[in-house]
Amino acid sequence: MTSPTPALAAAEPGTVRQSPPPPRRRRSRGSPASRAERNPLRMVLVGVLWLAVALGIALLFWIIVQSLRDTRSILAEPFGMPTSLEFENWSRAWTVGDFGRAAWNSAWVTLVSSGLTVVVAAPAAYYLGRVDTPVTRFLSNYFVLGLGIPAQVIMIPLFVMLSRLYLTNSLIGLNLVYIGISMPFTVFLLISFFRTLPVELEEAAAIDGTSPLGTMMRIIMPLAKGGIMTAFILQVISHWNETLMAMTLLSSTDKYTLPVALIGFVQQQTYSGADWGGLFAGICIVVLPMLIMFLFVSRRLTEGLTVGMGK
Amino acid sequence: MTALLSQRPVRRPRGVSLIEAQKRKLFLPLVGPAFLFYTLLVVVPSAAALWISFHRWPGAGPMEFVGLRNYPRVAKDPLFQQAFLNTMLILVVVGVTIFVLAFAMSLVLRNMWGKGTVRAVIFFPHLVNALVFGALAGFIFNPGGLVNTLLRPFGVTEPPAWLAQDNIFVLIMVTLVLTHTGYFTTILMAGVDRIPPDYFEVASLAGCNAIQRLRYVIIPLTWEVFATCAVLWTISSVKIFELIWVFGGSSGVGIPPTSSWTAAVYTYVTAFSGQSVPAYGAATASAIISLVTVSIIVLLMRRIMRRDAIQY
Repeated sequence: MTSPTPALAAAEPGTVRQSPPPPRRRRSRGSPASRAERNPLRMVLVGVLWLAVALGIALLFWIIVQSLRDTRSILAEPFGMPTSLEFENWSRAWTVGDFGRAAWNSAWVTLVSSGLTVVVAAPAAYYLGRVDTPVTRFLSNYFVLGLGIPAQVIMIPLFVMLSRLYLTNSLIGLNLVYIGISMPFTVFLLISFFRTLPVELEEAAAIDGTSPLGTMMRIIMPLAKGGIMTAFILQVISHWNETLMAMTLLSSTDKYTLPVALIGFVQQQTYSGADWGGLFAGICIVVLPMLIMFLFVSRRLTEGLTVGMGK
Repeated sequence: MTALLSQRPVRRPRGVSLIEAQKRKLFLPLVGPAFLFYTLLVVVPSAAALWISFHRWPGAGPMEFVGLRNYPRVAKDPLFQQAFLNTMLILVVVGVTIFVLAFAMSLVLRNMWGKGTVRAVIFFPHLVNALVFGALAGFIFNPGGLVNTLLRPFGVTEPPAWLAQDNIFVLIMVTLVLTHTGYFTTILMAGVDRIPPDYFEVASLAGCNAIQRLRYVIIPLTWEVFATCAVLWTISSVKIFELIWVFGGSSGVGIPPTSSWTAAVYTYVTAFSGQSVPAYGAATASAIISLVTVSIIVLLMRRIMRRDAIQY
């Protein structure tokens, strides 16, 4: 109990008569608050949670270990440790599964489209969040509506449109699509974010004679760096993992992004005998970049996810 | 959907100030590009989807206008019915399971030692492509795989065929619960963390047990966050595709068994399977049926879940 209000102080354990006494009150020791935290169900749930955490970490570790073993020993002894390090899996995945090419494609598409998304969405969100007119209110809702449109609805028309423009099987086409479909979420997130910044700084800058554009570039954008960074990271995650649009729009292996290459690899294996070592290496190539990023930005990420939520 | 924007911008007095007037000149350069990208790549294709759904069209050659006929045709297709049912099962069954678990965890996590670590670990699956879980499940549950190896010492010599067509969908639902619960727990926890700790003190002084604390403190005070999460899950559950698709790869056919299809898979296969004549009209019609269904569910949900915001 940090700073008890008068009402709480009156209800300290010694003078409990004000509240109706619950049945178990007299039997155990400690303050009622701490007692509530110590019931058996809670202990079980805490145990289950830590078990889940341990299993999660073990699974990740296990995948990395398996990616260094050859397929026969993986199947013979799924929990064995590598006897010799089979970096060959990685190089085979890299060349046979074309993951090298795909990793490069994925990195390029992800970074370019996430960067451009933020560059395009941030000014719009700033304007829509700050200027209140019927038009901006309408436009904010217009952007939000896009959140509800599932990818499969626009997949076919986009395929037709882009093929007429010779932009199918092209990473530039995929970039454009990713920027478009990220607009609703990014604008929505950043509108909420800009509204948390104080208006006074802008007014002060304006009174000092800074032009509105200058205010935005020199005052607001630096202040909003955190929110913009979060929006960027969230886009990186979703574009790195995006599969449906990439499958629809890309048709030749040299253009495949990692998820499409991974699907191809899984299917190829069911015909030519499973190469589990190679598959685990492929999985690592998809997962490890996300893991490394997460280790650096986990706090910002989980905070950013909740910016747009209600209160 | 519109109610998602719960905050209004700061209201200005009637007369527009000079600063404001100057700022408004920036409307086109600031909002224009985002508007164009979004309109050309999302709104126009959505309208085009509606238009295509009124036609019989294999993707090349002339489009034949058939009016609304694609809709009853799709609705009568047993494959679509199965896919639609599966999508609804995921939405409701997986959704309810996820939220029950997420609330249970938020009860325990709130003041648990090592909370940050636990949260980070259970959140991480959200960052991993669902394909990976599908491929892993294929390994873990295949006849000579991990699970059967683990079961052997316990005398299970004839384990169930985990990856048989009838079981795949259940396996998919379980995988979805395992991978999504952490994400929603994280979001709910952010709501729970904003509740002043005094409230929990008062609740326990009044003799609340964990369930009562959930019912009288946590749920009412995180209602808005919960409502938003429910909308989020509804919207994202109709898009589920990768996890199901990769099970097709691991079962050997390339296309997943029809018993596990979702509406998104149905749309993709109908348009791009490469095995039959593509039916763009029917495919978009099925996508639009899912869109309309989801919109109705979201609207209903927002109506039912509307509560007066509790200020604290």
